[in-house]
Formats: sequence, C-alpha cells, structure tokens
Amino acid sequence: MTQVILAAEVCDTANEVICAPANVNDLFVHEVWFTIGGLEVTRFTFLCFLAAAIVVALLFFGLKDRRIVPTKFGVMVEGLVSFVRDGIARDVIGPEGGKYVPYLLSVFLFVLVGNLFEVTPFINFPITARMAIPLFLALVTYFIFMIVGFGRNRFQYLIATAWPKHVPIGLRWLVGLIELVSVFFLRPFTLAVRLFANMVAGHLMLTLLLGSGVIFIAAIGDLGARALIGIPWLALGIFIFGFEIVVSVLQAYIFTLLSAVYIESSIHFEH
Amino acid sequence: MEGNIEGLSSAIALVGYGLAAIGPGIGIGIVAGNAITAMARQPEMQGTIRTTMFLGIAFTEALALIGFVLFFIA
Repeated sequence: MTQVILAAEVCDTANEVICAPANVNDLFVHEVWFTIGGLEVTRFTFLCFLAAAIVVALLFFGLKDRRIVPTKFGVMVEGLVSFVRDGIARDVIGPEGGKYVPYLLSVFLFVLVGNLFEVTPFINFPITARMAIPLFLALVTYFIFMIVGFGRNRFQYLIATAWPKHVPIGLRWLVGLIELVSVFFLRPFTLAVRLFANMVAGHLMLTLLLGSGVIFIAAIGDLGARALIGIPWLALGIFIFGFEIVVSVLQAYIFTLLSAVYIESSIHFEH
Repeated sequence: MEGNIEGLSSAIALVGYGLAAIGPGIGIGIVAGNAITAMARQPEMQGTIRTTMFLGIAFTEALALIGFVLFFIA
C-alpha cells in the first residue's frame, strides 16, 4: 500500500494516467531497518514476531484464570481451541489425534493471525505472502508426518506407498510412482504454495484496487473528471476486502486440515 | 527487440495461467455441486461433508495456484 502511494508521488498524474510500481516485487520487499549480526531486520521480521506474540498473548490471557463461568474473551479462545481439537485433530486423525493438538493449534493460530494481517488497517501485509513462512511451516508438517510414518511402520510405509496392494497389478507401478512422488516430494510444496499463492493474490488485488482508487481520487485536481474512475476501483476493492477476510480464515483452516490429513495418512497408510 | 520478447513471454504466461484455471474451475464446480447435493440428501452429515468438500477444493485448487505462481516466475 505505502509502496504504491510512494510510486504515485514520483509519477506525474497530470500527464500520465497509469502509475504503477516498477516491479511486482516492490509490494513484497521491505526496506531494511537495521542489521543485527548480519541478519537484516525489516518490517516483515517485526510482523512475524508480532504475530507470534499475539498468538501467545491470546492463549495466555484467554486461558489464564479458569473459572466455572469464563469471560467472553475466555469463551472465544476456548472455542478456537476446541474447534482445532474436536473439529480438526480428533475428527480427522481419530482418538489418538490429541497428541497433535498442540502443533495443529499453534499452526492454525499463527497462520490465522498472519493471514488476517492482510486486512488489518495500518499493517496490510500478510506475512504468509512471503514464501519463507508457509514453506517453513509446510516443512515442519512434512518432517512430522515422515517421522510418524517411518517411526510407526518402518519401511512398510515406503513399500506400501510405492507398491499399493489394493490396485490391480497392471496399474500398480504407475499408481505407486505417482503416489511416491506426490507423498514424498509434492506434498510440502503444494501445501506451502496453496497458502502462499492465495495470500499473494489477495494482497496484490487489494493493493492494486484500493491503491489505484485512492490515487485516482486524490489526483482529482490534476485529472478532473477522469479521476472518477477511482470510485469503481475503490468500491470493488472494498468488496474484495470483505472477501479476503473469508479467504484468510479459510486458508488457515485448510492449512491445518491438510496437515492433519497428512499426519493421518502416514499413521493409517494402508488406504 | 528484447523488450518485445519479454512482453511476449509474459503474454504467453498470462494465456498459460488462463488455461491452468479452466480445469480447476470445472473441478471445483463439480466438488461443490456434489457436496450441496449430498448435504441436501443427508443434512445430518453436514459437518463431515463440508470438511471433505474443503479438502477436495484445496486439492483441485492447487493446480490453478501453481499456474498463478508460474505466471509470476515467467
């Protein structure tokens, strides 16, 4: 958002109607604030810590004093916890799903807060729109379900994936090959890309629509009646804004749900 | 000349993204439509059906999203 407005300051609205940032990367790369021992601290780094702090504070203050009749805030946090525990972990993984609730809950809340940064005023940047965050979370999920699969079933896990017994013999090698590539290589990639691409698309749409709307309306002195084109852009941007709230929550849910499904599929690998 | 080639490659990437969106679009339609039919037939199974529907949509959608990412890479 700020980048588009900054780009508009250097572009002359009197002569040029189309003002765009030089590169799409400008929307996702922030300037370096300061450096600690070779690590560059940017706005993005700060937002990551902010998201983590929000999740910790939410759980700490929500569940601090357990009462018979919890406060309204406590009910909300308990609702979130029981949604992940009953709706995702126990529903998908089964009775032993309780073991994975801490991981699934932290991932769900972190991704949810990170996604909702997209529609939070004055932040307006989803931290999950940088590939580092979704890829890291997807790799953690990948290691968990690999360790669960190999720890419980030893090499039966690998063999049963590459040579599925329930498939007719003529097709077994093909299905086995597809399964092998999909389970061991594509799963973490698609898990990460799904979240990343949704958030990138949302951030781009919001920035372009709201940004161009504001720029056109603000340049009404230079552009005259032509500045009215900003009004439909702004209206569409506000509509997409509501839509993105739904997408943020849904993508956090899908990320957690798929993590649970992958863990489940390596516990009960036979089918 | 170089600018032309760059413009051409991004135009082709745009067409590629459009093609990549066709299949998932049809697929998500089928998934959601069948989920609605199932919910109408057995409203008591709504929770399970909704979870499965989101799973199906997420798997189908991945193809379109890979196309979308490729559009930015190209």
